[in-house]
Amino acid sequence: MRSGSPCALAFWLGTAELGDKPVREPPPRPDLWPPASAATFMDPKYIRNFSIIAHIDHGKSTLADRLLEVTGTVSLREMKEQLLDDMDLERQRGITIKANSVSMRVKHEGQEYELNLIDTPGHVDFQYEVSRSLTCCEGALLLVDAFQGVEAQTVANAYNAIEHDLEIVPVLNKIDLTHARPDEVKEEIEHTLGLDATEAIGCSAKTGLNCDQVIKAVIDRIPPPTGDPKAPLQAMVFDSVYDEFRGAIIFVRVMNGTVKKGARIKFLQAGTEHDVVELGQKTPKRTAKPSLSAGQVGYMVCNIKSLGQVHIGDTVTVARGEQAKALPGYEEPKRMVFCGLYPSDGQDFETLREALGKLQVNDPSFVFEPETSDALGFGFRCGFLGLLHMEIVQQRLEQEADIDLVQTAPNVTYKIQKKDGEWLEVHTPTRVPEMGEIEEFQQPIVRVSFVMPAEYVGGIMKLCADRRGIFVRQEYLSPTRVMLVYDIALAEVVYDLHDKLKSTTKGYGTMDYELRGYEPGDLVRMDILVKNERVDALSIVCDRRDADTRGRAVIKKLKQEIPRHMFEVALQAAIGTRIIARETISAMRKNVTAKCYGGDISRKRKLWEKQKEGKKRMKSIGQVDIPQKAFLAVLETGEEEGGVKSR
Amino acid sequence: MLPIHLQARKNLMPRAAYIHVPFCSHRCGYCNFALVAGRLDLVPSYFEALQREFHSQLVEPREVDTLYFGGGTPSQLGAEGLARLAELATHWHPLAEGFEWTVETNPADMDAAVAQALGAAGVNRLSLGSQSFRPAKLELLERDHRAEDIQRSVELARQQGMAVSLDLIFATPGETLQQWLDDLRLAIGLEPEHISVYGLTFEKGTTYWGRRERGELESAEDELERDMYLAAIEELAAAGFEHYEVSNFARPGHRSRHNEAYWRGDEYYAAGPGAARYVAGVRETNHRSTTTYLKRVLAGESPVDEREQLTDESRARERLVFALRRLEGLRREDFAAATGFTIDELAAEAIQRFVEWKLLDDDGQRIRLSREGLLVSDAMWPEML
Ligand SMILES: Nc1nc2c(ncn2[C@@H]2O[C@H](COP(=O)(O)OP(=O)(O)OP(=O)(O)O)[C@@H](O)[C@H]2O)c(=O)[nH]1
Ligand code: SF4
Ligand SMILES: [Mg+2]
Repeated sequence: MRSGSPCALAFWLGTAELGDKPVREPPPRPDLWPPASAATFMDPKYIRNFSIIAHIDHGKSTLADRLLEVTGTVSLREMKEQLLDDMDLERQRGITIKANSVSMRVKHEGQEYELNLIDTPGHVDFQYEVSRSLTCCEGALLLVDAFQGVEAQTVANAYNAIEHDLEIVPVLNKIDLTHARPDEVKEEIEHTLGLDATEAIGCSAKTGLNCDQVIKAVIDRIPPPTGDPKAPLQAMVFDSVYDEFRGAIIFVRVMNGTVKKGARIKFLQAGTEHDVVELGQKTPKRTAKPSLSAGQVGYMVCNIKSLGQVHIGDTVTVARGEQAKALPGYEEPKRMVFCGLYPSDGQDFETLREALGKLQVNDPSFVFEPETSDALGFGFRCGFLGLLHMEIVQQRLEQEADIDLVQTAPNVTYKIQKKDGEWLEVHTPTRVPEMGEIEEFQQPIVRVSFVMPAEYVGGIMKLCADRRGIFVRQEYLSPTRVMLVYDIALAEVVYDLHDKLKSTTKGYGTMDYELRGYEPGDLVRMDILVKNERVDALSIVCDRRDADTRGRAVIKKLKQEIPRHMFEVALQAAIGTRIIARETISAMRKNVTAKCYGGDISRKRKLWEKQKEGKKRMKSIGQVDIPQKAFLAVLETGEEEGGVKSR
Repeated sequence: MLPIHLQARKNLMPRAAYIHVPFCSHRCGYCNFALVAGRLDLVPSYFEALQREFHSQLVEPREVDTLYFGGGTPSQLGAEGLARLAELATHWHPLAEGFEWTVETNPADMDAAVAQALGAAGVNRLSLGSQSFRPAKLELLERDHRAEDIQRSVELARQQGMAVSLDLIFATPGETLQQWLDDLRLAIGLEPEHISVYGLTFEKGTTYWGRRERGELESAEDELERDMYLAAIEELAAAGFEHYEVSNFARPGHRSRHNEAYWRGDEYYAAGPGAARYVAGVRETNHRSTTTYLKRVLAGESPVDEREQLTDESRARERLVFALRRLEGLRREDFAAATGFTIDELAAEAIQRFVEWKLLDDDGQRIRLSREGLLVSDAMWPEML
């Protein structure tokens, strides 16, 4: 099952050499960890810090499972699939949302090594998690699905690792698949990323094949950290999670020096001081240790009650004595999309605020601030890293807080210069001033990389041209696979680009994007009027040239979504005072139950009572009841039936 | 002293009783009633169960003013069975002076013996499931009777001195306004005392529902159904029928007193599978499955499947809504006396709006549905409940 030569890698404390036993049955996990004999600090020479990076679903978390097994960190009995995906939502969706670290110990050529692995998310929305993880590492396993090959996020993540100056170890995963094409994929890696893939390990995270080789490569090829355990303490805060009982759990990579339990430490950026109540490493459960020293990755508990007090990217040093310099830190993750979230029942406003606050404690990457809408009342404008992130936050809100929500269509942030020279940043379409007051209207532009089989290039080029994308370059990853790069308005990406890519390429295309900056556009604010009243929550910003089509599509969709009333309801789309589309929902003509005798009375009453409840949840604008779903009608593309994105 | 409305409730026992007869020869495609098709073998246990249910529900005989045998198809029991049911029912529910006793029948079942049995028992009102006179429509509805059966049934009823009510269905798939008018006129020509008209509805769990889902059947356009309904109102008014409830029309003095009790919010007894009763402020519905009903009752268990005790306010609101389905509407004074709530404290805002939209008429004392209101009334009720 594995390469013939006797393997030099042995389990820590284990007598068995790898290869003596099937990988799926590692020796029992040691009872005591760390060993009583552990030195006060670990020689950095014997530490390896690495991330696993890949395109979404290429098997990072599954490989992490195998590595945990191979090293005996987790016994088979305790093993479950994608063990590091420990959030409920990660398990439900089968994807990694949050990077997660784990420390492993392994014996190699008679020497004990500490391997700190960080499993990262593959989805573009959580790119910043990858960046953070990479700053804690000296190397990265670049995992590529041996069937799918190099995909958009493979490229993005590989470049990210190169920018961080990391040693990249390419690994081909899923070679158990019958259609795996390892040689071609190696070529794609070399060709696209300029990495030497000749020695790329082919493994299967599913069967465990060659996963021991991966560990060996980590030790052999990834350089050890360089810090000095005796220098003043300098540690990087790269993550934090909230624990109900212990407060903030702060994850650090110690760059220099040593931190011990009980020490008084200082956060340089926040300027706050704390006592270290507990520190240790994840194995993968939190396991307390007496100290963490240069090169190590671990956690600290400092009696901090709110995550708001912990700044990701902050530098930890000692509160007394010689202090280290602050590390560069991280860029704030960028909120790419915004939407309004309103409680359907105005009474739930405070509950919603609490729920959002609670979520933010665990996920500081999303932001919210109160806003009011004439149509929807009091609610919040929320900013997300992307559409998936938005969907996830909403799902959590619904699951955890049980609040019925009205969501407005997502939009991007615009920069607007008014005639008087003032610049505005606008997260809400209604806040766009009247056209006459606008000097310049700018929108965010992203560079989008598409990777797809060559036959779909034409389709994607047309799609990008329709979306007014600017062609940047085209590259053949291999004779059959192509990468296309375009600069496109982020609004187009948010609108439906991903869905369109998938349908154009029969699911084989992938995409990644990064923010390029702001550019002036020919943009307008389109308003929707219901029974002659503007519904602020339905306003959108779009390209002037798309306005007519969008307007017609939105009005048509609204006509389907808004139920008939006992009076006629006029629907209009307008730019300024110019009406660009209109429809009428005619008055209800007939709605009366014939039979209503003894047995029907309870049933009917209950039905009507239910309808009354349903009505309560609708938003009433000038006596017109608008169902929650209708507020997403503005996503209607007007290109095909059912073109609206459903949540 | 108790308030008037509570006193009234305390002293008044229900004055109406409903008996459900769950037997039909087959199940018509549009029907979702509680029934068993082709299971006359269950009749003996049914009688046994009824007897037991009466006993445990009523303890002792309870006099009523109106008695109603509905179904299903009570006439499936045949002359002998009907006589037996009549005896059982009137033992437990002796009829007060001036009673109304209705039996639903299928025109196909009506022969001299059945008519004779009903007449001899004292039944004075026959509700005929006539539905239509047009063969193609009857076939589409999967009814097993013909137009001649309707005529014969009416004649037989007359011989027994029974008043007649005809049920008619409209807005069946493919039906034209003219075809409906023809049905109406044929019905009027038989000079019944009472006519009920129902727009066909597609109910979940019927074969019609599935056929519509598959596109084999199409429901009538709203506009056509509306025209048919309005035509019925006009035709029947011209023929001297008073439109007194959404679906019900009667010659003067011939309203269904039993049904009026439902709409007024009065209480009533009930027995049989799927039957609903309203006694002492509690609404109960028996299990809809005939076999479950039989099994439970015969095992000495309660056949009640659903039960709800209404608060005084929801009682009042329910009464408001169901009473407004009657064309004469509701007098503020009567409502307050009966419920202890004023109409305006319950629904002033909604009423004002509906009056503005001309869906309700309000003369200060009485509110009632306007013609347009009648047509969309289901959309109004949620705002009043
Ligand atoms: N056949 C086969 N399937 C694999 C292999 N490795 C992973 N998978 C499957 O690929 C899917 C994705 O695996 P994950 O480990 O969740 O992938 P990931 O890269 O962590 O995904 P994200 O974190 O969402 O980016 C799962 O269904 C795995 O079972 C492999 O070696 N062979
Ligand atoms: S005869 Fe009446 S109760 Fe029986 S199945 Fe037909 S419609 Fe239903
Ligand atoms: Mg994962």
